[in-house]
Amino acid sequence: MSKTKLDEINRNIYDIKNKDEYDFKIKKGLTPEIIEEISKQKNDPEWMKEFRLKALEVYNKLELPTWGPDISELNMDEIATYVRPKTGLSNSWEDVPDDIKNTFDKLGIPEAERTSLAGVGAQYDSEVVYHSMKEDLIKQGVIYTDMETAVREYPELVKEHFMKCVPVYDHKFVALHGAVWSGGSFVYVPKGVKVDIPLQSYFRLNSPESGQFEHTLIIVDEGASLHFIEGCSAPKYNKVNLHAGCVELYVKDNAYLRYSTIENWSKNMLNLNTKKAIVGKNAKMDWVSGSFGSKISMLYPMSILNGEGAKTEYTGISFAGGGQNLDNGFKVVHNSPNTSSLVNAKSISKNGGKCTYRSLVRINENAKNSKSSVSCESLMLDDISISDTIPTNDIRTDEVEFSHEAKIGKISDKTIFYLMSRGMSEEDAKAMIVRGFANPIAKELPVEYAVEMNNLINLELEGAIG
Amino acid sequence: MNNIKLNETPVRTSRNFNINNIKLENIKVPEQISEFENITITGDTSKTNIEQNANKIDLVYGLSKDFINQVNTQSNQKLKLTIDSKKNSQTQMEFNFDEENNTLVENIEIIAKENTRSTIILKYLSEEEVEAFHNGIIRVNAKENANIDIILINLMNTISNNFIAIQNTLENNSKVNYYIIDFGGKNSVTNYYSNLIGENSQNTLNTIYLGKENQLFDLNYIAEARGKKSNINIEVQGALKDNAKKHFKGTIDFKKGCKKATGNENENCMLLSDTAKSIALPMLLCSEEDVEGNHSSSAGKIGEKELFYIMSRGFEQKEAMKLMVRAKFNKILDNIQNQELKDEILQEIDKRID
Repeated sequence: MSKTKLDEINRNIYDIKNKDEYDFKIKKGLTPEIIEEISKQKNDPEWMKEFRLKALEVYNKLELPTWGPDISELNMDEIATYVRPKTGLSNSWEDVPDDIKNTFDKLGIPEAERTSLAGVGAQYDSEVVYHSMKEDLIKQGVIYTDMETAVREYPELVKEHFMKCVPVYDHKFVALHGAVWSGGSFVYVPKGVKVDIPLQSYFRLNSPESGQFEHTLIIVDEGASLHFIEGCSAPKYNKVNLHAGCVELYVKDNAYLRYSTIENWSKNMLNLNTKKAIVGKNAKMDWVSGSFGSKISMLYPMSILNGEGAKTEYTGISFAGGGQNLDNGFKVVHNSPNTSSLVNAKSISKNGGKCTYRSLVRINENAKNSKSSVSCESLMLDDISISDTIPTNDIRTDEVEFSHEAKIGKISDKTIFYLMSRGMSEEDAKAMIVRGFANPIAKELPVEYAVEMNNLINLELEGAIG
Repeated sequence: MNNIKLNETPVRTSRNFNINNIKLENIKVPEQISEFENITITGDTSKTNIEQNANKIDLVYGLSKDFINQVNTQSNQKLKLTIDSKKNSQTQMEFNFDEENNTLVENIEIIAKENTRSTIILKYLSEEEVEAFHNGIIRVNAKENANIDIILINLMNTISNNFIAIQNTLENNSKVNYYIIDFGGKNSVTNYYSNLIGENSQNTLNTIYLGKENQLFDLNYIAEARGKKSNINIEVQGALKDNAKKHFKGTIDFKKGCKKATGNENENCMLLSDTAKSIALPMLLCSEEDVEGNHSSSAGKIGEKELFYIMSRGFEQKEAMKLMVRAKFNKILDNIQNQELKDEILQEIDKRID
């Protein structure tokens, strides 16, 4: 049987690089002076400036992780932490400069926005340059704005929640984020409001050596519901680029939040992102995550089930090609009775890529009658790739139902044979099996709203199999 | 009194998960090792040559450098077993800890020659009041076509410390089957490593553990498939009552070139009290495409329905619980041919659950 040739996809349409134009770029390295400078540029209130300085202190104290992918190539002094695009905040698409617009056009953002997306907060480098929202959402009292504006206009709400879910002590890159964060989205959905169309935010990274430290803060108040979509794509550069964003989600009692992400950073990116949700009584938090790009990814979204009857689901796929090391997974802590979690993780490795599923399920003493079920599957498309599964299951009470299962393997010869006996070529058979493998994740994505994101998956899979 | 860090996993995960190693406080690691004479060896010793000259070794994993070093420099038993029998030869070694013999630092080397078939039983017992210390290394080298069963039974009391490091090398077509009955020790820490270098080599590891009071079990099992069509099977069944705690770290590592290798790992923990704790890290590492690897892990209390059913047949709750635990463990114990030994283990299960 001939071996299927698996070519890398042409990523040029994502690796579009604009001329590096910026009007302010802070000198390299991190000192309190630089943090103060950033704070001044951002017009931060005093409390935020103090917060940033405190986070810097923590950053200097914490050590780099002693586990996971090797990130020693990262030289923080080399990465300028703040780049502001030439344009300020715009509220209409026409005002956005042409070169930025062109890049977004190629990524399909205006299309999506014009058709059915409720709002777009597109982040270009470190500032939100474009922002719009449908009238009816505003009428319902939904707040969807960039993070800087939120700090100024909704100080109480922000102060109460900002980096409380993800404290700066969590790890070194969170502390760094706290010190230099810039841009990002803020969403508040008032009590009982059901936002029936997804909100989408699209991130791009464009300046060499610049990190992206966007902060996303979403509060879904009691009984409310929301679907938020986050997608990432970045141009390619030779030097190491860092993404250390932070996502904080508060799902209050009886609320529902679905957070969908497609990460498609270019292959020189270190994606060290932190995402965490606090889930209230009878509330539900769903994560849908697709990880395709970046050189190194360390991403473990986390749900903390604090309220009785809280639920969470994680559906994720990682696709690592040559030179990629995607260390992804999920963390859940059950802190109350009758909570439940369901995890379905998949990974595909090819061309020497490495996928790792790393996770934590912790069921604490008081989480009686809780349930957790974890399933991970890994597909190896050749014999030069690597696939690891490293799950930690920490069960601290007896009244639980916990199960975990994982599988590693290649595409079964029998299945290929079966499909070929039905008249398919070997390539088509393999492509079909891989698509089928990824389907449980693909179908969770809102196809009708985010065509562009689904294309990323299809393109990657089609390109991979030919 | 020492604070020690042992049993590192082959791959680290987040430090916050508290599973990369085990830190033990106030462990009495004896500096002067006196004689240990309470050994009873039974069985067909004519087919198995036993000498006191096991070689020094540097283990690939082991518990820690210090523990390996203690065995290499201070061992009070250096047993080298050479098996040369085509018919199943059985050897049983019983180590009894008492007042005089309370420290055992042993180095056991087992060489199963080509085409041999053997069973080795290693049993560790201790008197109730004796605070014993056991640090042992067991190495098995299974040559071509050798087939060896090792039954390791730890029935020490719950105030002693039990540390064991195992290293197996499997050549072509060899089979190494372990049955580990891990019941004793205040702390029972095991490092198990199998290197399946041979084609068609097979390694099975069946463990049952039963924890009570404040017992802690730290099991770090690592099996690396290198040979083509090699096969690994790890089955762990355990039960924890009172404040007992268990860390299970199981790694199946498919190395490049181990085409058509298969690996299965299953771990189940029955929680018999709401203060017992179970942490599991079942790892699958894979750098070869043409393999099949599965693992599953589960934890929870004994099913209420099953308990109710047994109780409706006239059993008391404790008896019903015992039956359930025995039923789970029997899956593994059934593989032990020696009925006398099996009965002894079953009695011990009842005793420890009471």
